[in-house]
Formats: sequence, structure tokens, C-alpha cells
Amino acid sequence: MLPCGTFNEDYGRDTAVIRTRLQWIITILAIVVLLTVPLYGGYYFIGLINKIAITIIAVMGLQLMMGYCGLISFGQVAFMAIGAFTSAILTSTYGWPFWLALPISGIVAGVVGIVGGTPALRIKGFYLALATLAIYYIVVWLIMHLKITGGVIGLHAPAPTIGSFAFDTDERMYYIIVPVMLLMTYFAKNLARSRIGRAFVAIRDNDLAAAVMGVNLFYYKLLAFFIGCFFAGIAGSLFAHWMMFVHVEQFPLADAVFFIGMLIVGGLGTITGVFFGTIFISLLIEAVTFASPTLTGWFPAMGIAPAAALGATAFGVIIVLFLIYEPRGLAHRWNIFKASYRLFPFAY
Amino acid sequence: MQFFLELSFNGLIIGGLYALVALAIVLVCKATEVVSLAHGQLLAFGALFFYAGYMLLGWPLWAAGLLGLACGAVLGFAVERLCMRPLIGQPLFSGFLMTFAVFMVLDGIFALILKGQAWGFPDFLPAGNITIAGAKMSLGGLSSLGISLLVFVLTVLLFRYTKVGLGMRATAESHKLAQSAGINVRTIFSLVWILSAVVAVVAGVMLARYYDIRFMLTLVAFKGLIVAMVGGLDSLPGALIGGLLLGWVENVASGYLDPFVGGGIQEVAGYIMLLLILLVKPYGIFGLVRIERV
Repeated sequence: MLPCGTFNEDYGRDTAVIRTRLQWIITILAIVVLLTVPLYGGYYFIGLINKIAITIIAVMGLQLMMGYCGLISFGQVAFMAIGAFTSAILTSTYGWPFWLALPISGIVAGVVGIVGGTPALRIKGFYLALATLAIYYIVVWLIMHLKITGGVIGLHAPAPTIGSFAFDTDERMYYIIVPVMLLMTYFAKNLARSRIGRAFVAIRDNDLAAAVMGVNLFYYKLLAFFIGCFFAGIAGSLFAHWMMFVHVEQFPLADAVFFIGMLIVGGLGTITGVFFGTIFISLLIEAVTFASPTLTGWFPAMGIAPAAALGATAFGVIIVLFLIYEPRGLAHRWNIFKASYRLFPFAY
Repeated sequence: MQFFLELSFNGLIIGGLYALVALAIVLVCKATEVVSLAHGQLLAFGALFFYAGYMLLGWPLWAAGLLGLACGAVLGFAVERLCMRPLIGQPLFSGFLMTFAVFMVLDGIFALILKGQAWGFPDFLPAGNITIAGAKMSLGGLSSLGISLLVFVLTVLLFRYTKVGLGMRATAESHKLAQSAGINVRTIFSLVWILSAVVAVVAGVMLARYYDIRFMLTLVAFKGLIVAMVGGLDSLPGALIGGLLLGWVENVASGYLDPFVGGGIQEVAGYIMLLLILLVKPYGIFGLVRIERV
């Protein structure tokens, strides 16, 4: 809904992502604030933003697959791992520059995603979820047993460089990760509004009806897999060069589970929901990690309670509550809030 | 030949337990149409309570067994009542995600109870070996297989010859028709979850006998899901045959291929089998092929 007194006078304004002058000002301010965070943010804070931004890229790919196209995937972490290892192999084993390895790792993950996504043509729903779980285990097994991926030892991933300037600290990496995140967001937002995004939504709502209306299921389902896994590959590559080391244990199945939880909390089928869900869940997990020593002090009977266990429990409870009370996620709440302040002081 | 027989035998023992886990999942799926991820935790908690009764409290075997089953039943009932029932009428996808959230909550509690240790589980089945055609087979394994088959047969009989079973079958056919025939569908849902949790607990206790109570025990649920998919999500015989097949394939594949590829085949073999079968038969070997209409 548009604010009072705003009218779309031509087609360009009707299709614009950013519609009003106020929105432009807020967007530019937000970008400026985001890009100057390393000047005043603490070391820990920057690391946290880097992590969240990488997660946002991966979850956004999953959103396009699961939220828009209805293809449930437990394999997103596996495709992140493929991106990370591709990038590490290209840069450290073959000496390619990071700037070339980044898009190529995305494409490699996407192509593997197409291969892994072929079962999606015949199965859907829970069957597909399990098939992607199978892909996760097969990818992890391959990474552990192939020579080129370093097996159980892992691989070194050198820091990206321009000339003699190396992006080897969290602050410097921030200036690669955050712009890439913004770029991917813009891409995803536009894709969701295009012919392709509409086709995805039609397939999600009812794939037979979509096929009858002339949507090519074969093409669009594989395209959804390609794009979703492309995002995961990019996220994996950024992660590898930020950590400067890749190992298969950096990509646990629990992360795939968290990704899906983030989508539920944020709201399936919206790009803003990705931000809400990822930030909410990431901060929740951070808070639990911080709180767990205190909690152990209060309840000594728990012993040295693993923070991960508490995090999982809190996460599960949050998802139960969201599914019962707000199945459309935080993004829906945000839209209700926006509508209410735009209408203020009128009721409707 | 002897090697092959021993591999097959061990595979079938584990396969029988996989079949039980799959049976629990198929029961829920048949009646409520929700595929459950939470059964790994249900079975782990059952094993935990059995352990508490048998080892910590020193109760006799039957009392500890009853305690495990009762606690499993209560847990199953609680999951249905608190989490699944509010979602009746919502898309099935929400139900799936809810079992997934229950999985996370119970998983966290399980990890808190274990504190990262493995609890050695007592061997309560008869010890000793018998030799058939030159291959050694353990009596404990044979009785474990026997118990799985017995539970399976009992469940099928319950489905086939009791009034409750008839109600469950009617509910599986169509919720609306069952309701209009005077069956209380909600009660059936509760009963199905309880029955399914009890079956899962039996499987959990026997699995813990193999693997001890450790954090990875809950991952058996994924094996159960593979079996349920391979056999067909709405087919009881599919669960049995799929379970035995998966156990056999895993063991034989790891026995013959592990030396060549450096280990770990046992984890992957099941998934590769699942992918291949889903590509050929998308609804599983015995699953009902759904003809959809727009």
C-alpha cells in the first residue's frame, strides 16, 4: 500500500522497487551506515555482521527455491560447501584470483544443483526434502573421500587481493561481503518480480495448474535449483575466503535446519522475510551462546551445558510458536505495521 | 559365502529395527498425512527411560520395559496434543515443519541430558552364538529380529481386526468420511501418535542395545524416513520390506566396498538407494500412486 497522496503517474514509477522520496533517503542512509560500520563498530560486531550477511545470501537462495518455488531443500549447506571448496581449490591449488573464483564457484554449485535437482521433476514435498538430504550426505561423503578437497584435513583459502592490498581482516572482508550481499538482494528482489518469479509462485501454488497454464515445469524447476544453489555457492565462497580455511565440518546439517527455520520465522515467499528471519535467529543463537555460562551458574545440575543444545531448544520453541501463532512470519507483521502507520490517523 | 551370510544376517537384524522405525512413521503418515521427523527423538527418549528403570532404579526387565513404553506413549500424546493439534486444517507443509520444530526442541533436551557422553546400554537379550551353514549368528541378534517381527505382526493385527484399527484405516482413507461415519478423528489422531510412539520406543530400546545411548542415536529417524519412502509412505508391508532391504544393502555394501573407497559407505548407501528408487518409482515400491487433479 502506498502512503497517502502518492500516485503512480507512469509505468516506470509503478514498477519501481523504491517508490517514494522518503524511501530513497532511508535506503541511501542505510547503505551509508552499513558501509561505515567498520569505522566505529567493534571487532566482534563486524564478525557477526559478516556471518549474518553470508547467511542471508544462502537463505535468500533457499527462499527462491522453497519460499517461491515450493522446493524444500535440506541441501543448501551442501551447496555452500561445494561453493567453498570450489573456490578454495581454484585459488589455492590452481592460483586463480578470488574475483574469478567467486562467480565460478557459484556456477559450479548451481550446475551440481541442477544435477541434484533432477528428482524434483518427479517428486515433491517430503519426498524431495528427503532426496535433498540424500544429496547432502553424498556431497559430504565425497568431500571427505576425494583427494582434491583435502579430505579430513581441509584446504587453505587465501585472502582476496587487489594488487598488493589483501583483504585479510574482518573489517576488510566486510567490504567484499556486504556489497555482494546487497547485490544479491537486488538480484533476488527483481527476479521475484519478473516472469521467472511469477512462474515459480505458480509452480509452488499448484504445479499441475501451472503446467496447464503453459509454465514449463522442467525448465523452471531446474532454474529454481540453479539459482538457489548459485546463491549458496557464492555464500560458500565468501565464507571460505573470510575464514581462510575450509573443512567439511564447517557445514553441518544443523545449519541446513537453521536455514529453514529462518525462512519460517521471517516468512516464506518474501525477500524482506529473509532479513528478518536470518537476523532474528542469528541473534537468538548468539544470545543463547552468551547466556549459557550464566544459566549453568543458576542450574549447576545441567553441568557444562552445551550452548548448541540450548540454542536448538530455544530455536525449536520459537518455530513452534511461529507456526501456531504467526505462520506468515515476521514479514507479515512488518507489512501490517507499515499499513497502519501509512494510514494514520485513519482506521482504514 | 560365509562372509556374505554373516553380513546379510547382521544387515537383516538392523533392518528389522529400521523397519520398526519406519512403521512408526508410516502409521502417523497414513492417519494424519504428516511425515514426521520427530520419531528419532521419541525413540531416544524411550531408550532413556528404559535405561533409567533398568540400570538406575534396578527394576526388572519387564517393569523397565513398561516404564519405557508408558513414557513413550505420554510423550507421543503430548506431541500430538500440544503441537500437532493446533495445526489441523493448516497446510500439510506446516505439520511437517512442526514435527521438525519438535525434533529441534527434543534434540536440545536430549543433548542436555546426555551432556556429550555415551551411556553404555546393558545387553538384556540372551548371549551366545549359533552356527548355520558355517556362519556365526548371535542369539541376541536373532531375538532382536524376532521381537521386531512380532511387534510388526501385532500392529498389523491391531489394524486389521480391532475396532480402533478399523477407525484408523477409515481415517487414513478420508478424514471427512470417517467423521461423518461417527468416528472421532481427533481421538484417532491421538491414538495413532501414541501407538506410533510405542512402536518407536521398542525400536529405540533395541537400537540402543547396539549403539548405546548417544547423541547420534536420534539420527536413526532419517534411516526410518528412507525406509518409509522406499517402501511407500502409506504401506505397512513396504515399511517391513524396505527396512530389511535397507539394512541388508547397507551392510553388504559396506562389507564389500569399504576396503576400496576408504570407508563410510554404510552412511551413503541408503541415500543412493533412495535416490535411485525415487527416480524410478516416485511414490516408493509399494506406495499408492496418487493421481492428482488441479
